Amino acid sequence: MQRVDRLFAAIPRMVRDLGRELGKRIDLRMEGGDVEMDREMVEMVLDPLTHIVRNSIDHGIETPAERRTVGKVEAGLLLVTARQSGNQIVIEVRDDGRGVDTDALVRKAINSGALSREAAERLTEEQRLDLIFTPGLTTASAVTAVSGRGVGMDVVRANVERIGGMISLENVRGQGLTITLRVPLTLTIIPGLIITAGGQQFAIPRAAVVEILHANNRTLAIDRIGGASIATIRKLRHSMVDLEDVLQLPKLQQSGPRTIIVIRSSLGVPYVLGVASVENHEELVIRPASPIIMSSGVFAGMTLPDSGRPMLLLDPGGIAKAAKLPAHVEPMIEDVTIEEEGAPVATIPALRFLELTGEERLLQLSLVERVEEVEAHLFGCSAAHPFVRIDGRLLPVVNDQWRFDRSAVTALRLRDGAAEVCYPVSQVLDIVDMPVVPQLHVSRGLVSGVAIVDGVHLEVVDAFALFADRQSACAAEERSTRCFLADRDDPWMQGILHPLLLQAGYSVVMGLDQDSGPALGDVVFCSGDSDVPINALPARVVRLRMTPRPNSDQDSTIYRYDRVALLAAVAAVRAGKAA
Amino acid sequence: MTQLYLFARVAGTSIAMNADEVEAVVRVTEISPVPGMPPHVAGLSALRSRVLTMIDIGALISGRPSPPTDRPLAVITNISGHSYGLMVEAVRDICSVASGPLPLRGQIDAAWAPHVRAMVDGDDGHSLLVGLSRFVEAGPVAIAA
Repeated sequence: MQRVDRLFAAIPRMVRDLGRELGKRIDLRMEGGDVEMDREMVEMVLDPLTHIVRNSIDHGIETPAERRTVGKVEAGLLLVTARQSGNQIVIEVRDDGRGVDTDALVRKAINSGALSREAAERLTEEQRLDLIFTPGLTTASAVTAVSGRGVGMDVVRANVERIGGMISLENVRGQGLTITLRVPLTLTIIPGLIITAGGQQFAIPRAAVVEILHANNRTLAIDRIGGASIATIRKLRHSMVDLEDVLQLPKLQQSGPRTIIVIRSSLGVPYVLGVASVENHEELVIRPASPIIMSSGVFAGMTLPDSGRPMLLLDPGGIAKAAKLPAHVEPMIEDVTIEEEGAPVATIPALRFLELTGEERLLQLSLVERVEEVEAHLFGCSAAHPFVRIDGRLLPVVNDQWRFDRSAVTALRLRDGAAEVCYPVSQVLDIVDMPVVPQLHVSRGLVSGVAIVDGVHLEVVDAFALFADRQSACAAEERSTRCFLADRDDPWMQGILHPLLLQAGYSVVMGLDQDSGPALGDVVFCSGDSDVPINALPARVVRLRMTPRPNSDQDSTIYRYDRVALLAAVAAVRAGKAA
Repeated sequence: MTQLYLFARVAGTSIAMNADEVEAVVRVTEISPVPGMPPHVAGLSALRSRVLTMIDIGALISGRPSPPTDRPLAVITNISGHSYGLMVEAVRDICSVASGPLPLRGQIDAAWAPHVRAMVDGDDGHSLLVGLSRFVEAGPVAIAA
């Protein structure tokens, strides 16, 4: 691991030199240099970051004279920050310059022929801004020594996406542009799908995969015209290419249907990749491939999976390039027209599945994180709460199914952002569009209503009810109230009170001699006869007694096995704090 | 100073390589092919936890892939951070040669020319002294030609 400082090291000098060259004053601020990331990752991000900073100074920040006339301070602010977010590093370059003139972008795109005039009129502001990634397009009115030579944001995006990263823009015309790079913490481990084509296995980064369908799916139509393949999925036309054709492998006969994968490519236009089958999902340790293999342009690296046979990681953007797929922005327009012609009812994608009890039901697709086969013996039940053991964690099972007549069961893993639950089903049937609001409300148990989809009525699973009962699972996230246990050595406090409070979602501090002692809004627990000097503390103090009965009428202590009163005491402080 | 050389046979020709450049000589187990590669890139092979890019030197010289053999013999080398396995027909000896490299004599085959630096006189005749990195770098050039 290496500090991001190394990435930042070259920036001050570059900013100073560029500022002098262009006659601009720049107030550079850098934050988060102590964030660490993989050494190889630093190398990969260096070029895109340099390019973005150059762009900001050259195109974004105005000259001091221009800034004065629009009422800004003379020195333009350039803020470069890095922070870790989960397993990603987020690098942000923000300037307070003039922002991107999207009108000019659209004009340029029309003039260069990448966009038709009619299509341009239907673009949303976001799509207009995305034109900045069109190859060969620049907003610079003149070619300068610094930028505007047409090697632009398209290359930056391709480089960032090749390492499994993402780039996003936030543009406020006249007030500045923020470019955010999200790159994986390490190049070495990425989630990938293992696919088979032409009798060989390959890996593909999961981040690039939008959707996987069997070729015989009813929502999919594949047409071949004039040598081109077009896959139409739910009225959306995609360029299609078979992986075997790109890699010049033989297409082998197979018993089942082929699989098609919708890929989000670095060219900005999703395309469809046909493969023999998708085998597995695995965390892959990626290592760089030798230059001669990289030179083919379709591979991004290699990996050594469990099988012991080396496997190549495909580069989704490289495949599109190798197959010479059209990279026009037109398909995005398609999107808009569909919305116009679309049904009057607003719809969201939903998973149609067969319950273990035999009913066909619908579930909002956005909740489904993963569908997988889980062995039946991993399910269990305790105190009428069924659960399942997955990856060493226990997940609640929400539909009360935990005994099965088969050895493995299909399980939906659902996530509401924080909490995760498991929903075993008999079979996953299809992905359909269901109305956002079901036609009939019934709201009973797990069912929220009945929706009509493709001429059949199906029950809709209530997403709210699935997670509503699982409060305790995510309570651990709320850590605003701290509980101090004054008597550090008391075995009862350590062994019984401590776990209770932790389970209830509070953070617990043993003892009072912490540097950051209890503050207003914290709770201190101590035994009734404690000699700890607690009266001077700003926090609420809860005294505990050993006996169920109060010693006198004025006794404000709480019996130490009165769970309800204990938690109520903490909750009262929480409520007071919130108010 | 006497230099250690590894003597091997490729495409029926005796070659010598600097022993410093050679990490090991192993019989590799299984080669997974890499599609879309020139014929001399035989594929990838796992050696313990490393992945080797297998280079078929015979194919580089003759233009035809070598006949597939069970567990081919490969010279393992590390070139600019990447591990390669150079497939050879046989390995004869490793020994030092007092005379060191000698200048080339005669007209050498055009296929060999880019890879050969000099000659080495071993105990049993002449061998071509090859630079291992040239086999690897020669790849893209050979395709372009």
